[in-house]
Amino acid sequence: MTTLIDKTSPARSGGQGPSGSGRRGPVVILRGSGRYRLILAVCLVLAAGFVAWGGTLQPFEQGQLTRAGIFAIAILGLNFTTGYVGLLSVGHSAFLGLGAYTTGVLVVNYNQTALSTIPVAMGICFVVGLLVGIPALRIRGLYLAIVTLALGVAFPEIVARLGGLTGGAEGLTIRRTLLRPPEWSGFTLGEKDQWLYWLTIVCLLLAFVVLRNIITGRYGMAMNAVRQNEIAAAASGVNIATVKLLSFAVSGAITGLAGSLFAMYIGSLFAEGSFTVLAGITLLIGLVVGGERTMLGPIIGGLIVVFLPYYTSDIGGGQFSAVLFAIALIAVVFVAPDGIAGGLGRIIRKVVRVDARRPDGGREGGLFGDAPTATATESGSAR
Amino acid sequence: MLNVSDVALTFGGIRALDAVGFTVGPDEICGLIGPNGAGKTSIFNCITRIYQPDSGTITYGDTDLLSVPRHRVVGHGIARTFQNLALWPQQTVLENTIVGAHSTATPNLFASAVGWHATRKAAKQVERDAWDLLDRLGIADLASHPAAGLPFGTLKRVELARALISRPSMLLLDEPAGGLTHSEVDELGDLILDLRRELGFSALLVEHHMGMVMRICDHVVAMEFGRTIADGSPDDVKRDPAVVAAYLGTPA
Repeated sequence: MTTLIDKTSPARSGGQGPSGSGRRGPVVILRGSGRYRLILAVCLVLAAGFVAWGGTLQPFEQGQLTRAGIFAIAILGLNFTTGYVGLLSVGHSAFLGLGAYTTGVLVVNYNQTALSTIPVAMGICFVVGLLVGIPALRIRGLYLAIVTLALGVAFPEIVARLGGLTGGAEGLTIRRTLLRPPEWSGFTLGEKDQWLYWLTIVCLLLAFVVLRNIITGRYGMAMNAVRQNEIAAAASGVNIATVKLLSFAVSGAITGLAGSLFAMYIGSLFAEGSFTVLAGITLLIGLVVGGERTMLGPIIGGLIVVFLPYYTSDIGGGQFSAVLFAIALIAVVFVAPDGIAGGLGRIIRKVVRVDARRPDGGREGGLFGDAPTATATESGSAR
Repeated sequence: MLNVSDVALTFGGIRALDAVGFTVGPDEICGLIGPNGAGKTSIFNCITRIYQPDSGTITYGDTDLLSVPRHRVVGHGIARTFQNLALWPQQTVLENTIVGAHSTATPNLFASAVGWHATRKAAKQVERDAWDLLDRLGIADLASHPAAGLPFGTLKRVELARALISRPSMLLLDEPAGGLTHSEVDELGDLILDLRRELGFSALLVEHHMGMVMRICDHVVAMEFGRTIADGSPDDVKRDPAVVAAYLGTPA
């Protein structure tokens, strides 16, 4: 048995855990335990119910839900780099536009099916994300925001310049027949909006799962580390440059996916209309109000940036609606500085807390006793 | 093992290091002492590639450390702690520890995106190591607590866990006893000696607490004004006139 440290060291006088001192703390649930899975299952059923309900809605309402889903995907992408790695991007509208125009140009000029353009759009946005990530290696914070702002401002201008390909200022119209749902889906041309709703849901789900896998895993921990202290991250072996570049690229690809869906949704693309810096700021608003660095925040943010303007314009017309929208946003940020998802999370954690569970299977032979991994050459003397 | 020779470093007109040289042997605990501003932390920052010296060489085994990028240093077996703590406050104690293993089991973005079985298995392994270490350092029941808000002494242990999980052959400890009470300092000294016996590593220790330096170090290097002024056994260095003068001043 190895010598153990004195258990009464001041470190533990915090009274952690529910069974501690008189004050009642939150109920602790271990990650991966039966109760944890039960709660997760209930949440999944609720989400599935909501999605199924959306499937039965009238075309207009369903279209709005599709739009919210598309924005949710775009904000998920933004959250990945701006939220977790802390690389502030104002110009993510450019990725939205790049994805949209990739799909538009390939469908209209090169006769591709809409669905097949999605991976191409994501690939192009990934590469452009890598390139745009390069300035992020040297600068951060507001200075990086200005670089990305320039990207957002430049995008509509570039689209206008490449008029032969993109239709320039007149825009690019994708005829409805070109957006026919594929045979195997079972949807007819008349059910295009239904098809797009379900396509968006599937893409949202895939993006959510993939990003969640990264964020909750060790790569995600390294991303958080880079945001909070670069020197400590590097001293722990994290390659700061790789993490920043790849996070920007993945972020661009996911937002590009949203752009591709957006092109199918809107049908006619005007860079001056949909993909200006204002769209980039809308994504940021969705991120901050929904909840930075949470998995649900981008989804809440997507719903907010699409639906909140409707409600405010119901109450007050014209410019007054914009003022109401602004007041609502300020109110949210005032009440919950960490966004709606962050605020809800804080309240929930007062009642239920999820803790990491220690993996099963105790060791024999002390520290790293039977560890089969790495550095075997250095510790040759160990047993 | 670790060989620092003739290292010089200037910031603008200020000479932080001026021809510093010493060697740390295998399994040796070497103390680095000197008044504030002598350049002890600057040496650490040169070894871990945060600063680029103007001249001199730093080698570890056969490796020229000055040609190694910053994030690769720990992969060569050199892990460090920081004088004023450099943890990630919003992450839990467990997560802070796990990131320390980045060099020995580097996670791949794309593999973790799809959740490969092998990736999960490797992650589980790292997680086990982290729990074992936290247990060994007596802070396992704080694993799910964010680093922010924990006492200083505890956070020093979290840093130690983060450094140890990379299985270093050379541990750089920057004032590990700073801010600890007397009994905690004694406990820490024992802990370092025990861990060296269990895991096998050399250590370079910047420390102001002379009791601890004299007790656990095999070898002491004294610095003043960016120069090495003494190098030898703890007892010899303690009696060295230059060291006494540096700490107490010369009689007028």
